[in-house]
Amino acid sequence: MFKRIWKARSGYLFILPKYILFTIFVLIPIIWSVFVSFQEYRVFGTEWVGLLNFQDVFHDDLFWTAVGNTLRYAVIVMPSSVISALILASLINPLKRGAQTFFRASFYLPTVASSVVISMVWRWIFQTRFGLANYFLSLFGAEPINWLHSSAWAMRSVIIMAVLTPPGMGIILYLAAMASIPESLYEAATIDGANRFVQWWKITLPLLKPTTLYLMIVSTIGSFQVFDQVMLMTQGGPGYATTTIVHRIYNVAFRDFQFGYAGAMSMFLFVAIITLALIQSKVLSGDVEYKG
Amino acid sequence: MGKKLSVMLVLVLVLVTSASAFANWTGTITLWDAPRWRDENDDQFHWVKAKIAEFEALHPGVKIELIETPWAELGEKLSIAIAGRAWPDIVPVDISGAINRTHLEQGVVEALDAYMTEEELEDFFPGALQAYTYKDKLYGIPMSMTVHVMLLNLDHFEEAGVEPPVDGRWTWDEFVEKAKALTFDSDGDGKIDKYGFSTYILQGYYEAWPFFYMDGGVPLVDNTFGFTSPEAISAIQKLVDLKFVHGAAPVEMGSADVGGTFRALAREGERYVAIQPWNTWAIATVTGEGVNHLPNVMVAEYPVGDLGKPVTIGGAGGWVVMHQSNKDKRDVVVEFAKFLSTPEEQYTFATEYGTFPARKSAEAMNPFADKPHMARAAQMVEHSVPLPEHPAWAQIDERIQAELQLIFAGEKSVEDGMESAAAQIQRLLR
Repeated sequence: MFKRIWKARSGYLFILPKYILFTIFVLIPIIWSVFVSFQEYRVFGTEWVGLLNFQDVFHDDLFWTAVGNTLRYAVIVMPSSVISALILASLINPLKRGAQTFFRASFYLPTVASSVVISMVWRWIFQTRFGLANYFLSLFGAEPINWLHSSAWAMRSVIIMAVLTPPGMGIILYLAAMASIPESLYEAATIDGANRFVQWWKITLPLLKPTTLYLMIVSTIGSFQVFDQVMLMTQGGPGYATTTIVHRIYNVAFRDFQFGYAGAMSMFLFVAIITLALIQSKVLSGDVEYKG
Repeated sequence: MGKKLSVMLVLVLVLVTSASAFANWTGTITLWDAPRWRDENDDQFHWVKAKIAEFEALHPGVKIELIETPWAELGEKLSIAIAGRAWPDIVPVDISGAINRTHLEQGVVEALDAYMTEEELEDFFPGALQAYTYKDKLYGIPMSMTVHVMLLNLDHFEEAGVEPPVDGRWTWDEFVEKAKALTFDSDGDGKIDKYGFSTYILQGYYEAWPFFYMDGGVPLVDNTFGFTSPEAISAIQKLVDLKFVHGAAPVEMGSADVGGTFRALAREGERYVAIQPWNTWAIATVTGEGVNHLPNVMVAEYPVGDLGKPVTIGGAGGWVVMHQSNKDKRDVVVEFAKFLSTPEEQYTFATEYGTFPARKSAEAMNPFADKPHMARAAQMVEHSVPLPEHPAWAQIDERIQAELQLIFAGEKSVEDGMESAAAQIQRLLR
């Protein structure tokens, strides 16, 4: 084994900086949060409390409200981001190289922009008195909506923002996957009389399955971790209408200073995401071969 | 005799050693501060920078590192720093928010009693000291005191032909009548575009709360939730009715953010609300230069309800010294905190920053001689009540404010909202 590593040492050296950062900023905090979830954390001296934090989580109404809100968000945002990426990539793919580059860059640009900036812009769009959304409605004689400040509309507004933000990364990944599908498959289908839609449905879509699976998993993780949009647009309100799991974890940890309890909620989130990813992987996985 | 002499010699040696250690301590003190008033270069940290330069000149080898932090981020950044045990040495917060009773119990903050002489303590207003006292220990040096007041845009009053309250005093009924008269269609398009009153409901903010006290209700009584009392319900209902029954407040009352609410009162080009409650810092903003300068402004009391007297919520600001493992450094950090809190500095804060001094000697310098609005606000200190002291206040506050948001959005009745808050809070009070 060591021989093999030594042989490929240059490769390992290239990925080493990334793994050092990963260990410091991801792996160690995850391990630490597992430990802390069994403790009542104090700045000076902590106390081991066993499963008490987990018991509290299961009896915390606010946590379950946050779970419900997060599910509502994820159920809409996850499929919509994957489907919109697929549709947009399918529309861009047949274009000429110049046009493809233009649209690829245009849709990827919002991904580069900070989610803070995007959320601030959307907060203005949804502003009750002067916002663009209500101005648009007024053109049709509709009554203004209190977008971010009514229980009925607050979560819908956050979801609308997420759905209307272009899924730049998904588009790029789908385009790359589409480019790798052998042209001969489409040529054969054309000879057999298949039109463009049938080709897309019978060839493109099945062969994009691995990319779709990856995007679904990544999008599910992202949806379950929604935080900054909520924090900036509604702060979890009104009431607890937009409080999500991560928002709740943040408040409990950094405002209430209950790190053990926050750790237990994080473990719940971790297990939920892993379980969902495994289910998605099981349901959607399957060998894909590009047979010429 | 020889034994006594030896003991004396040892004592002298100890004193000399510790004194020289104190004098010789060198190193870096980390200070977090947030924006204050601007100078001619638009620098909002000029005051603390000048104080740092003075202190460093007096203490060669001591360097003060200033971390400039926006007020809005100070609490969260401090909580994260505490969690990571990487806190600053000195920070301008009270002990009811980012620093709270839990931190005090855990020893994150230094108690300063040993550093304050009787004479020094005598110079502070009792309310200011009380705000930094927990279990009979002083956990900060008070720098300023604040109250909430009502700010009135008198141009709006004039446009509506409404007389402002005489000497800023009014009953609830008078307040409602004026707020209604101040609500009108100013451009003749058939839509109301000017409103009498507005405020917001957010966790950690208490501009609206004095209204809830006006009939005699209080949030916590003997560790029991008090906003379910008839007095509190009636007071909250009155403010809700101002929006939904009297139509004297815009739809966003109770739900807008801090900046949006303030712009509705003061921002040039917006200014569609005549009356809003604010902390006293806002007086300096609306009477100063810039886009938020209100040419004709008045400071008024909260309206008087069934309690028979106006109520306001007061607070205190000051410097907190975080836990120091090195005693010599702690001495210098505390000295610096005291250096920032002298009567002269508190006078400067009062004249420039819109706060009330926490020290009697600073108050005696008459900082508001040429600031009638601040002088008027200072009269309201006698009506101020503090927020409840409870280790879980941040969580209790979150539950109450969440229900208030729904009440002011018209989604819950006052009774249902407060009953729901009571059910959630009961567990925290146990």
